[in-house]
Amino acid sequence: MSVGLEAAATTTPARGYFKNPWRKPRVLQGVTIGYLLWSLLPVVIAVIFSFNNGRSRIVWQGFSLRWWTADPFDSILHDPIMQAAIVQTYKLAILVVLITVPIGTLFAIAVDRWHGRPARGANFVMLLSFVVPEIILGTSLFILFTTLLTVVNLGTPAQTLGLAVFQVSYPAVIVRARLLTIGPEYEEAAMDLGATPNQSIRRILLPLISPAILASVALVFADVVDNFVTVNALSGPASSETIAQKIYSASRASPTPEINAAATVMLITTLTIVGVGLLLYRRLNRGQRSSGASDLMQL
Amino acid sequence: MARTSDATRPDTESEPEPPRRRARRGERQAAAETGVWYPRWYWPSFSLPGVVVLAFLFVLPAYVVISVAFGTTDFERFGRAVPYYAPWWWSFDTFNQTLSQFWGPDAIYQDALIRTFAFVFSASAICLVLGYSVAYFTARKTTKYKGLVLILLISPLWISYLMRIYAWQGLLDTGGPINVLLGPFGFRETDLLSGLPVTVILGLVYGYIPFMILPIYASLDRIQENLLEAGRDLGASGRQTFWRVTLPMSRPAILTGLVIVTLPMFGDYYTNDLLGSTRTQMFGNLIAVQNELSGGKTRTASLVIILSVIVLVPMLYYLRETRRASERA
Amino acid sequence: MERHWSRRQFLGRAAGSAVAVPSLAAILAACSKPGEGSGGDGSPASDIPIATLDDPVTLPLNADPIPADTPIESGPLIYYNWADYIYKKEIAKFEEKFGVEVEITTFNNMEEGIAKVESGQVQPDVFFPTKGYLRRLVQNDLVQPLQHELIPNIENMWPIYSDPGPYYDREWRYTVPYTIYTWGVAYRRDRVTDDEIAAQGWDALWNNEYEGEISLYNSYGDTIAVAILRNGSLEVNTDDPALIDEAKNAVLETIDQNGARLTINGVYAKLPAGDYTVAESWSGDIVGAQWYLPKDVDWDVLGYWRPDPGQSMTDNDLIAIPSGATNPRLAHEFINFFLDERVAYDNFRYWNGYQPPLSSIEPDKLIADGVVPPTLPMAVVSQDMFAQDLTPYELPPEVDQLWQAAWTEITS
Repeated sequence: MSVGLEAAATTTPARGYFKNPWRKPRVLQGVTIGYLLWSLLPVVIAVIFSFNNGRSRIVWQGFSLRWWTADPFDSILHDPIMQAAIVQTYKLAILVVLITVPIGTLFAIAVDRWHGRPARGANFVMLLSFVVPEIILGTSLFILFTTLLTVVNLGTPAQTLGLAVFQVSYPAVIVRARLLTIGPEYEEAAMDLGATPNQSIRRILLPLISPAILASVALVFADVVDNFVTVNALSGPASSETIAQKIYSASRASPTPEINAAATVMLITTLTIVGVGLLLYRRLNRGQRSSGASDLMQL
Repeated sequence: MARTSDATRPDTESEPEPPRRRARRGERQAAAETGVWYPRWYWPSFSLPGVVVLAFLFVLPAYVVISVAFGTTDFERFGRAVPYYAPWWWSFDTFNQTLSQFWGPDAIYQDALIRTFAFVFSASAICLVLGYSVAYFTARKTTKYKGLVLILLISPLWISYLMRIYAWQGLLDTGGPINVLLGPFGFRETDLLSGLPVTVILGLVYGYIPFMILPIYASLDRIQENLLEAGRDLGASGRQTFWRVTLPMSRPAILTGLVIVTLPMFGDYYTNDLLGSTRTQMFGNLIAVQNELSGGKTRTASLVIILSVIVLVPMLYYLRETRRASERA
Repeated sequence: MERHWSRRQFLGRAAGSAVAVPSLAAILAACSKPGEGSGGDGSPASDIPIATLDDPVTLPLNADPIPADTPIESGPLIYYNWADYIYKKEIAKFEEKFGVEVEITTFNNMEEGIAKVESGQVQPDVFFPTKGYLRRLVQNDLVQPLQHELIPNIENMWPIYSDPGPYYDREWRYTVPYTIYTWGVAYRRDRVTDDEIAAQGWDALWNNEYEGEISLYNSYGDTIAVAILRNGSLEVNTDDPALIDEAKNAVLETIDQNGARLTINGVYAKLPAGDYTVAESWSGDIVGAQWYLPKDVDWDVLGYWRPDPGQSMTDNDLIAIPSGATNPRLAHEFINFFLDERVAYDNFRYWNGYQPPLSSIEPDKLIADGVVPPTLPMAVVSQDMFAQDLTPYELPPEVDQLWQAAWTEITS
């Protein structure tokens, strides 16, 4: 269905535009609108079908709250397994944020200020962990936790650690990028004025990088909620299964719109959290030159 | 590389390096005067937790995977892996046998290997062209609705990848809307999910393209409008401005986008699981299949090593490029 | 043994220096070649033979059963089974009767289930393994003997399950049967007739007329065995590389030429929805499929064919109590509860579709009572089939590797 779009896209940057830069770039506009529809419509449809009065997720059989509240076993309200999956998803997200953001931030500061071969080596490994395909890391960690490091139980402990090593590079990279734009001058000025290193970090540096930290929180949080490969490879008892796993197994079995309802719950919750985060971000970022989303996009 | 900062530090200290020492002492004196001086353990100590995490959960598992791939299997214990940690016990039979399946007349993995490259290449190319267009339009051409468009562009990131692919599975299913739309054009029902390369490729594009759009958008957004106008004032046509100024300036972002889109695709297996079939198996599926077979752990580990080597080349290239870029900056 | 060494070694290093990566040399020094030189490395040599119908096995007792007067524990009872393989309402009844909670934990394939029990990642009180793993579960002391006094309801099952006990577990020392099923071809009667399928048999799954509408199970043991049957052999446990190779080629052929799909839900979810016309099927799946039919489709579209008894393939699933169970008495009560005639029957007919081997079940009556749709007479399993049918056994490791290699090729 998007074949048409790509065909159109190959003719970018629209020729007409170059003749007259102030003319409306209709082709590009069409591509962008088409892309947005393509990218969001399926999700909207999935949300709508959580209200379907039937098992189907493609044939509309009337509006009902069957999969939300009405069904005694298979509605979100009455299905402890699905609820546990939602809880587990957010539990992991919060744990991983709490672990990775401080570690990654400290790491970024260290690598920014400490020059030398060990620093470059550590940074290299960190960047490697940033780009390594997840299946490699997930499978490796599964093998690690089932052979050598058996003290770590599959389930929440293994999932948390696995996600942590996969996500710690996000704050490390984002905060580092921010530090590069700031430079050491502010702290040096502070210390000229008599601040100790610790004070200057706490009073000067932290406020300056706080937008990047918050961006990392948002990104790590969303990425953990989204995660499937690592979480699946390292899950233990069924109570450690997340929504992504439920969607995966349901899609290969006999999915009911309950899955859509669960995903909708996740969607609303995440958007709320992100919204609050954005508001906070704006407040923190007020008066700073850098535009809001750019930290997120340092990647 | 496995050695941590602290492990190597004593070495550097014990090496006689008078010039550097002297330089450092000078630094310290200078610092003492201005008051800006850090103990030399100060910054390294910040990296300690991160280094520990990487050492235990990134470097160590890599070694364990090697030990498992070159180890053996205990079938009496349901095929659990028996790793050989000592290199002198390593047995390369399984690994060699796995590797030999990738190329040759009877190589059973050859199709999957070629397919993986073909799918990843096509999907990345589509991501780049489509993603660049959208990012370009958003960054340069939307003024009134920029915020809204931006939010809509980012929003897929907040919706589970699995959920989005799952939504497509429904849309493409028998009797689903896409079938109904395509019906008049002679497509048989269910054909769309029966292992069509185009379905899987578009699924990959759909899943990963936000990661292409965002970095490109960010870099285009940073280009100052007056730079482009300057170009035009100097007589460059719009097209020339694009090829000479805009495109080169967004090159690092394109590289970043390509890397964070392409590398995960190499390990993707769930997109094909949901939208494809055995006829569209990719490298990730090979790993997933072996991982589920009892006694397949040695082969799983071998496949992981092979995939790592494949992606190592683009990974190192990217790391080198980013370092160069930061040095230029 | 090996595992503990490395672990202790590792912990020692970790405690010794929280910073440094444990040096490789230290780990290496602690490691002799695993499996060699260590002699008794925990698992005794494989002295339990693989059970077959001709060579039944009485599994050795690895402990005493719990005393019959063990008090009932307070739970929660950890239940570990395939996903969607029990009627939750019956579990609720059990919870109510004993005033305990049941924690439902599930696995998606047997390898996963076994691996997690074996590694201790999941510590269930009741576990539903398949036959092929039982010998090794006993060998590795992972299941405990049953206290027969606490399971009087075994009498409700076909006599062979308690006297002399099934061939894989004479004297039913460790297991009770849960369900019994056959392999066959499920089909849509609105697209093909019963006679057409009966004339084709397994070949229906290779018929190009149904191109794109054929489903096989995404499970190597099942699908390779079916391909062996289709190729005209009855050696469903073959160690003959030629037979395995032919079976592999047959599966590849129907995938490549007829667009056959490897699925898990092909029978119970996709066939009712109309996605497939013919499908490799466990009898329980097709019975359960009636509950997945769209509202406007009649149950009589579902059909099931299997070869005549003696040439068809039958198997049963088990319930066992792991040795690490923390609620062993409650687990016995759970087993006894699900062997209750009413409970087993309701579990079968309201939800599961998989038939328990209850003596009181009479094939004709199942159809008369509307439990099994009249179009599925062959989905009913009768007592004599258990003893005379083909059945999958545990494959010795080297044979199992041949099967897995064939499967690897099929799925690449």
